[in-house]
Amino acid sequence: MSEDSKIEPKKSSRGTYIAVFIALAVLTGIEITVTHLPIPRIPVLIPLAIIKAGLVALFYMHLRFDKKVFSVVFVMGILMGLGLIFSLILLFAPTLLDIK
Amino acid sequence: MIQETASVERPSMGVDNRKLGVWVWLGSEAVFFSALIVVYIVMRNQSVTGPYPRETLNVTLTAVNTFILICSSLTMVTALSAIQSGNQKGLWRWLVATMLLGLAFLGGQAFEFTSLANQGLSLSSNLFGGTFFTLTGFHGAHVLIGVIWIGFVVARARRGGYTQSSHLMVELTGLYWHFVDLVWIIIFTLVYLI
Repeated sequence: MSEDSKIEPKKSSRGTYIAVFIALAVLTGIEITVTHLPIPRIPVLIPLAIIKAGLVALFYMHLRFDKKVFSVVFVMGILMGLGLIFSLILLFAPTLLDIK
Repeated sequence: MIQETASVERPSMGVDNRKLGVWVWLGSEAVFFSALIVVYIVMRNQSVTGPYPRETLNVTLTAVNTFILICSSLTMVTALSAIQSGNQKGLWRWLVATMLLGLAFLGGQAFEFTSLANQGLSLSSNLFGGTFFTLTGFHGAHVLIGVIWIGFVVARARRGGYTQSSHLMVELTGLYWHFVDLVWIIIFTLVYLI
């Protein structure tokens, strides 16, 4: 591939990558533990999954330090996906959202 | 008049167009997987006959598989970090590690799919089976494509094809691989834990 464009974002350190890895592993362990506890799963597990996904996107995919246009483009796709999810749930399984 | 050939990497938005293209593609992949996820969410408990999710899915095995994929994200970003520092040998080694972890994940998926098939779950067994295998099958296909993609990058890296100043393909490969991991994080929570 030809010479990369001279547009280099700031980088995270190796220590940051390892810290994110540990956080992901710990959060996964917490998620599994929650499934064995007598507490509602959805309000705990969904935010934990979002945090994990956010860590991967921000640090491993470098959105934290890269040009904002990449974040805008990616978030637009995610928002469209979320819109699709909520609209289809409302249409075919509204009880999942406790909507009568 | 001499016409200047448009350079594919000439930035008009201040970013590399190839990288922007990959991000747009990943955004579309987010919509794709959202569609598969919502169909699974809506349909999984509407099967007339079994097997049913709670009695068939192996959370422990899948948790190990999830950990393997998280490890592969670390090795992938470490590979990129290596070539950003000009370390070609480090790049090659960490890419191979990523490939091996990806293959391990696929092996775990194959084992799980076989185990579920032995319990009577298939694409055509019931709504749960159809939506489950479609969602996880497509994700597995993405992992397989990622492993093959990394293989090509490894081959070029082995020949010294990437340098500190020229390694965009490594970064783009990493973006795809981390996205596949990100999708699995969501799938693991929604399918196996909730």
